[in-house]
Amino acid sequence: MSYITVTDLGKTFTVRKKREKGGPGREKTLVRALSQVSFQVEKGELVGCIGPNGAGKSTTVKILSGILVPDEGSATVDGRVPWKERREHVRRIGVVFGQRTQLWWDVPIIDSFRLLKEIYLVPGPAFEKRLSELTEALELGGLLRTPLRLMSLGQRMRAELCGSLLHSPELLFLDEPTIGLDAPSKLALRDFLRRENREKGTTILLTTHDMEDIAALCPRVMVLGHGRKLYDGALTGLLSRYDTLRIAHVRYADGARPPALPPDCALSREGDTWQILYHPAQTPTAGLLTLLQSAGAIQELTLQGQNVDHLIAAMYEEMAL
Amino acid sequence: MRTLKLYLHSMGMLLRAHTQYRASFALQTLAQLVMEGGEMMAVLLVVNRFERLGHWSGGNLLFFFGVMSLTFYLTEFLGRGVTGAFPSMVRSGQLDTLLVRPRGLMTQVLCAEIDPRRIGCLAVGLTALILGSRASGIRWTLPKALALLEAVGLGTLLTLGLFLIECVLCVYTVRSIEMVNALTYGGRSACQYPVDIYPRPLRILFTAVAPYALVLHVPAAWILDKPLWNWPAWTAFVTPLAGPLVFLVMRGAFGVAMRHYRSTGS
Amino acid sequence: MRAYAAAFSMRLKMELQYRAAALGGILCQIFFGLVLIALYRALYASRPQTLPIGSVVTYVWINQAFFRMLLSWDTDLLDKLRTGAIAYDLCRPVSLYGYYYARIAAMKLVGSLLRAVPMLLFAILLPEGWRVGPPVSAGALAAAFAGLGLGLACVTAMECVTMGITMRTIDHRGVMALLNLLMVTFSGNLLPLTLFPDSWQRVITLLPYAQLLDAPIRLYTGERPLSAAPGILGLQALWTLALAALGLWIWRHNLRRITIQGG
Repeated sequence: MSYITVTDLGKTFTVRKKREKGGPGREKTLVRALSQVSFQVEKGELVGCIGPNGAGKSTTVKILSGILVPDEGSATVDGRVPWKERREHVRRIGVVFGQRTQLWWDVPIIDSFRLLKEIYLVPGPAFEKRLSELTEALELGGLLRTPLRLMSLGQRMRAELCGSLLHSPELLFLDEPTIGLDAPSKLALRDFLRRENREKGTTILLTTHDMEDIAALCPRVMVLGHGRKLYDGALTGLLSRYDTLRIAHVRYADGARPPALPPDCALSREGDTWQILYHPAQTPTAGLLTLLQSAGAIQELTLQGQNVDHLIAAMYEEMAL
Repeated sequence: MRTLKLYLHSMGMLLRAHTQYRASFALQTLAQLVMEGGEMMAVLLVVNRFERLGHWSGGNLLFFFGVMSLTFYLTEFLGRGVTGAFPSMVRSGQLDTLLVRPRGLMTQVLCAEIDPRRIGCLAVGLTALILGSRASGIRWTLPKALALLEAVGLGTLLTLGLFLIECVLCVYTVRSIEMVNALTYGGRSACQYPVDIYPRPLRILFTAVAPYALVLHVPAAWILDKPLWNWPAWTAFVTPLAGPLVFLVMRGAFGVAMRHYRSTGS
Repeated sequence: MRAYAAAFSMRLKMELQYRAAALGGILCQIFFGLVLIALYRALYASRPQTLPIGSVVTYVWINQAFFRMLLSWDTDLLDKLRTGAIAYDLCRPVSLYGYYYARIAAMKLVGSLLRAVPMLLFAILLPEGWRVGPPVSAGALAAAFAGLGLGLACVTAMECVTMGITMRTIDHRGVMALLNLLMVTFSGNLLPLTLFPDSWQRVITLLPYAQLLDAPIRLYTGERPLSAAPGILGLQALWTLALAALGLWIWRHNLRRITIQGG
């Protein structure tokens, strides 16, 4: 049996909407947040979960962390049913919600950490050891006496991570951890998560809107949409399906211009650099290069795939999300 | 034992957090004191005009007021997580962060907030209790002191239980329900006065549904040597158990409600 | 003038949206009213007073019914004042004071009517000794209505002063709590002013707080005769004008400070 086993999971919410006009009554609509979702995760895996807003990502995480009770299907983590054996289960997991804090706003973060020690009943020496490990890795040493409210967003996220890892969980859920962070903070965070996964063997399940997170961290990606699982596999596999457009930039030594190109190619000019959009399926890259070389001496040539975000947008569109 | 340790640890931390803004904290505590002082003044004005209420003297009334005030604001001080903060915990998603921790949910909700400004109200309640006791000429004995402690202690459990009704409804509706105030705040203002002055429906309400009569008035009346409904002395120690009973029932209901918890936001 | 009317009607629509919450509030308020009346009936049973119990019962119902006129804050405005976002409103081509006066008046009028009408209908149907009594005369009813209108104008002016003070204090919650206490005590909500010691009443009925509900209620129950109505209404109008002038002065002063300091 896998570490996490999810079978035919389903959850329906009743949404009460106020009627447009008059009447004290309310309309009830059923929203299927999840239906028939199944997957398995092995110990030590690092899995990314993407999908547009309302796809069911958060519902999945909330069920697996014991917050919500599903209506259908089953789920076990390490042999336990999260919502039935909540306390035993959450003792072994850590959860970071990107948009809400679990630390205390007005007190120095070290005080929050000491209270978490009390809550998770971490023995003293183990706590001290883990704390110094984490403060070093997350560069929190100088901030321990600072209240959370005085911290920047990046510092706050590092403190949150530290707080949710103090009890050395085997499984870590991250709900949009990089939201709102600046570039250096994102890079540092990804770096830390990769190390935590490799060195401690922590299983990590991450939901995000940021494809860079997935590309940098997750060998495996799951796509959810309308409460269903749409894709589960390697990121490269997902990308190759939608990666239909490429961009070439070319600059000639003597100011020459590109020759006539097949009709599926779009040519445009930025200064002395030419940009060509083409579809490899119709115009193979090798063929395009031969054509371009025929026009003159190429000084510089770059080829690139489409931006990952564009790919995802194309994918959501095709899946009618 | 571990639960108590956690609660004390949390209390200490929240106390430090609250007293960080010292001027503001002092001003608000003062405001609480003045507000509850106003309530006490109303009782004094009533006593000034009417002198007595049935067979209860002015001093007796002040004593009843003090017992209720201490009980209610002790609950608001120590149990703010249940008496006030819960709806916003549901709305802000803070409840989610409590659910992913390996401790009882009720413990954590109680550990999540306190309201130390209420010492302002408690000071007024204590003053009323002492003044009322003097004016009524109570001769304190150990059993009487114990009866008072038991009444106030178990009264806080009753009050917590009543506020839990609102929490239970809030789990389903996400909004806070003003109606429940009739039992909580309504119970407080009605039961500042001994229950036997009220007509039958109110007596039944505050004996059988929100049993402040059993938890506070029976022992308080016995302490004043004017037993309520002429009940025997032992009832002063037994009927307050209705408080923990209400609390346990509501705690059970809260557990059931949490199975339907649907979380909010993304 | 049309801008103020628009502010008024917009707020009116907003208040009307919270009907469900209002229903809960009404039931709660009715319960509080019943408890208070039960208490006063018990007190009267032990020691009757010269003031008839019927007057006290009517006093309690009307005061409870219009509770929202006394205590309801324009939290939106409060936030704007606290954060200095009020400065953005300066670009509106209307007097800020007038605009918010209209808005607060709408909030108080609708908020209290929404509750008062069903509550008073309920209170009329109650048995003798519990019900809200009829006015002593048609003239008294008319005078009471006029008094209620002036009371609304007065409480709105008072709240504008409060808001102005709020802008200048370090912690508005403390100040607001104290002002609330004054309001609850001296408007007759905590205890009908008619039950205060007689010597106190001579002074507190002159305070602005007594002009809001106490004055019209006394006209309604006939505790003050119709011949006293011009004096009572005059005092209400006087306080309204004084408070409005004070409020206008504070607002001007505060806003000048904001524009100079740039928020």
